[in-house]
Amino acid sequence: MLNSLVAGLTSGGVYALLGLCVVLTYRLVAVVNFAMAGVGTMGAFIMVSLMDLGLPWPIALVIGVVAGSLLSALIGSGLVRWFGEHDERTKAAVTVALFVAIGAIGLRLFGSTSTGARRFPTVFDSPAFTLGDVVVPQSVLVSLAFAALITFGVGLMLARTSVGLRLQALSERPSTAQVVGIPAPRLAIAVWAAIGGVSTLVILLVAPRLGGDFSTLSGLVTTALAVAMVGSFRSLPLTLLGGVLMGLLEGFAASLDEIQKYRGVVPFLVILVLLWWRSRNEVWDTAHSR
Amino acid sequence: MSGEVLSLKDVSINRGDTPIVHDVSLTVAPGTVTVVLGANGAGKTTLMDGIAGLAPVTSGTIQLDGAPIEKFPVYKRSQAGLGYVEQARTVFRTLTVEQNLLVSRSGKGDAEKVYELFPELKKRRSLQAGHLSGGEQQMLVLGRALISDPKIILIDEMSLGLAPVVVRRLMHAVKDLVGLGIAVLLIEQFANLALEIGANAYVLRKGRVVFDGPCDEIRGDSERLHEFYFGAMPTDAVVEAGGENQ
Ligand SMILES: Nc1ncnc2c1ncn2[C@@H]1O[C@H](COP(=O)(O)OP(=O)(O)OP(=O)(O)O)[C@@H](O)[C@H]1O
Ligand SMILES: [Mg+2]
Repeated sequence: MLNSLVAGLTSGGVYALLGLCVVLTYRLVAVVNFAMAGVGTMGAFIMVSLMDLGLPWPIALVIGVVAGSLLSALIGSGLVRWFGEHDERTKAAVTVALFVAIGAIGLRLFGSTSTGARRFPTVFDSPAFTLGDVVVPQSVLVSLAFAALITFGVGLMLARTSVGLRLQALSERPSTAQVVGIPAPRLAIAVWAAIGGVSTLVILLVAPRLGGDFSTLSGLVTTALAVAMVGSFRSLPLTLLGGVLMGLLEGFAASLDEIQKYRGVVPFLVILVLLWWRSRNEVWDTAHSR
Repeated sequence: MSGEVLSLKDVSINRGDTPIVHDVSLTVAPGTVTVVLGANGAGKTTLMDGIAGLAPVTSGTIQLDGAPIEKFPVYKRSQAGLGYVEQARTVFRTLTVEQNLLVSRSGKGDAEKVYELFPELKKRRSLQAGHLSGGEQQMLVLGRALISDPKIILIDEMSLGLAPVVVRRLMHAVKDLVGLGIAVLLIEQFANLALEIGANAYVLRKGRVVFDGPCDEIRGDSERLHEFYFGAMPTDAVVEAGGENQ
């Protein structure tokens, strides 16, 4: 039981990170990004492939993260250029299509679930400390710390730095922001690049434990969306909390033999419950803001 | 094109796919107020959106200080020296007064200069802009345009929904801007108030220029203004069209 909860916490940090990436993409560039985990997975697979070819891990890591950033920036600039005037729904649909495309390309390049699982480097598997007779691996601390860093670091960046304030202005009034001279396309693409890099790191963090095949990892976007919904696609601290809870919930489900094999359903259940819960108020509160 | 800050030549502008402004030619000299008048729906806002890049220019040229800008994206026009005070007081509501100015600052722009013009903003510098009164918000939007170090500021109906005393205060501020050497292109529902501080005026009807001349020529002449607004068709809407007269 405690073991599963510790495992849940590790996933929790990662889920929080994925959720944060979704929330930030939505807040800053107004796109619900279904392709995010796919992009990160692509970066991560490029890294392990390079390692398989004998490249030392630090170089492979840098190339992988840069690849994730570039792919994301490419998607971002495509959306800015061709879909800048379209509504959020259209942009989300475009990212769904990209998610499918990236999945197909990944399958082609890196093989399927059974054949394509890679051995991802397990840097943080050594124990950090033991709790009773339960070993807490470093990965728990690393993923939680990373998630906390993003939550509060980005929060501070938005509130305190001039780039952060410009991003806020852009997210509140996109056209007026440009009227006062804020270079919207450039900022948006920078946000996409940053999100792509962080997603790659996050996928690398979780890959060793999830088996390391392309479709499982890129499919993590469902969990990410569920977590983002906990934060209403807006609040970073709530998203952090949502991620951790989601991890614990899954760890708990894994610890009970009868429901263990259904634990993949957890994110969908969370989405459904949140949709139902939120829709009760919808009638009174249709004005929605980012 | 000698000496004009802004010069439009045969400019047509769409809203979506609908042509709204047709073949407008217009010039603004440095350090002057140029007034744009016209009835509701005449295309005044569309004209300004086209100049600022928010609405597509389908033909003609727009020159800012002699350089063509009609192909520039919105933010590049701003960086080139075009300030735009949009209709409806578009402050960044979640940012403070100070932050609103900070994100708009460029070139020689200086917050102190804005606070000098509007001391009430200095007092509220750390207040979220959404909490400001309508008049203060309008001052902030003007200040935001000023701090971007513009050569010209387009101003669209800043008096909308504000008390006359506040409107007069804002008009004074516009005169101060002109004193700083900034040109102003001014849309104003209170025609005579605008004509008082303006040098030249243009009247739009159905997206076309129907009058172009010095403000003196039409100031106080409600009848003529009304004719320009609606065509020759005397009704008692004259007072409305002429605006308040003092
Ligand atoms: N998106 C749009 N598609 C088609 N027509 C539009 C669109 N937006 C505005 N219009 C029309 O363009 C015309 C000009 O509108 P505009 O806002 O420029 O007028 P205006 O002179 O600023 O009026 P007001 O004094 O009321 O502000 C109006 O007839 C309006 O109905
Ligand atoms: Mg208008």
